[in-house]
Parts: sequence; C-alpha cells; structure tokens
Amino acid sequence: MSAEISRIYLLDAATGGAVEAELRDAIEAENLNDWQTKWQPALLGVLQGLARKGVPQAQWPQSWHWNWQEKTARVSGLLAYKGFSIVALGETQGLAQIDLTKSARILGEAGKPIVYIDYLEAAPWNRPELGGSARLRGVGTALITAAVFLSLEEGFKGRIGLHSLPQADTFYRDRCGMTDLGPDPDCQNLRYFEFTPGQAGTFLEE
Amino acid sequence: MKRTMTLNLTELEMRVLDALSLRKDLSKTAVLRQALRLYQTVDARVEKGDKLLFENEQTKEKAELMLL
Repeated sequence: MSAEISRIYLLDAATGGAVEAELRDAIEAENLNDWQTKWQPALLGVLQGLARKGVPQAQWPQSWHWNWQEKTARVSGLLAYKGFSIVALGETQGLAQIDLTKSARILGEAGKPIVYIDYLEAAPWNRPELGGSARLRGVGTALITAAVFLSLEEGFKGRIGLHSLPQADTFYRDRCGMTDLGPDPDCQNLRYFEFTPGQAGTFLEE
Repeated sequence: MKRTMTLNLTELEMRVLDALSLRKDLSKTAVLRQALRLYQTVDARVEKGDKLLFENEQTKEKAELMLL
C-alpha cells in the first residue's frame, strides 16, 4: 500500500522563501534510510560538539537516543499505529508516529478517543536548539497539523494529545496553544498536552 | 480505499454500540474501527506472550483479562 501524499510548504530560514514539501501518511524505507544515513551523522556531530564543550548529558537534545527503525518495526502491520513523514529538497525533514488507542484526559473530553503523538522529531538541521540555525522552519507545525487532520478524519473531532520532552514544552504550549495538563508521573514526569476540538479548530485557523 | 460490508447485530449488541457511540462521541463506524484496532493490538501482544492486566488506580488491585 503506497502512502498518500499532500503538498505542503515549509519556510527556508535563510531566504524566507517557501519550499515545496511532501507530507506522506506513512514512514517508509527511504525515510528510515535518511534517518540512518543523514540524521544520525548530523546528530552525532552535534553530540560530539556538546561533549567536547563539556555540556552535561541532561542538556543534550532529549531525543538523541530515539531509534526510528526500532520504533516503526515495533508497530508494523498494526492498525492502531500510523506514521507521518515530511520530505523536501530530496530528504526527510521530519517524522511522527501516532497511536490511535489512547483517550482524552482534559475535563469535558475525558475518555473520548484522541490521536496521540507518540514521537515527533524534525531533522537535526531543522532544529535551532541544536546550536546551528534551522534550514527549514515549520516541520513540527506541519506534523501537528497532520495529526489534527487525522483526528478529524477518524471522527475524533480534532482531539490530539502528547507527552512533551522538556525542550519542546514551550512549542506545544505557546506556539500551538495546547492545554498543559502538567507532569505525568506515569510517563517519566513529562508534561502532557492536549487539544480539545475547539483548540484544534483555532490552531487550524491560525 | 474503503470497502463496505453489512453487519448483522442483535438488539443488545446494537444497544451497546449506540451507547458507546454516544459516550465516546464517535460514529458507530468509528467505534467498530477503534474496536478492531484495539483487538488487533491486544491480540498481537498476547501472541507474543504478554498478559493483559487492568489495575485499579485507587486500590492498586490488578486483574488479568483472559483472551481466548
């Protein structure tokens, strides 16, 4: 089964121009190959730089140990799990893995199904927090948008949820406008965020 | 591509489906799609040798669900 492809636009951080990209509703072999042969060496360079500077491991990019090949293999063939990938300029710019078995926690929506974002990561060269300047902007927002559209398609009314790595808390709270339900002791005390249908609608309008 | 099938349910099954549809704020089709996803996920875990356990958050009491 081949992935469905949507045309989207990212922002070239250097020129401010639009860059055409493909949003695919799957994580495929070529994306995993990019992760292995392009993301990993780029991330390794960043980590070596941090180690040389004596930056404590607690301040390293918190997704540095994520292994997308293992993550996708674990849920291969299961209907409850979906993936998204963004490809632009001939390489994978972002990945997300989705779990459709979770329920909302926010008051008034609790118990109703959500699109839960298990993992979301932009390519190392698109992450300004890794020390350089981002090449393409909008990857994270595009993946969140894809999750909201999936929620609408599934009849979940735009409800989505996720646990955020501390370095991304501000993005989900302030940029996306998700409700911060605080640290979750059942998930390494990561903060849990959710969109209600109303918040998802507002996010899509902006 | 989506395919269509006819589903015959008993009165009671239909009542349960209606109730779940209302409580979960989902169409009946979406409830059944969720049920299929969950069943496949649980079945895959059980096939690998995992157990399905429910835990009461207050009492911490655990109960194992047997899947036949």
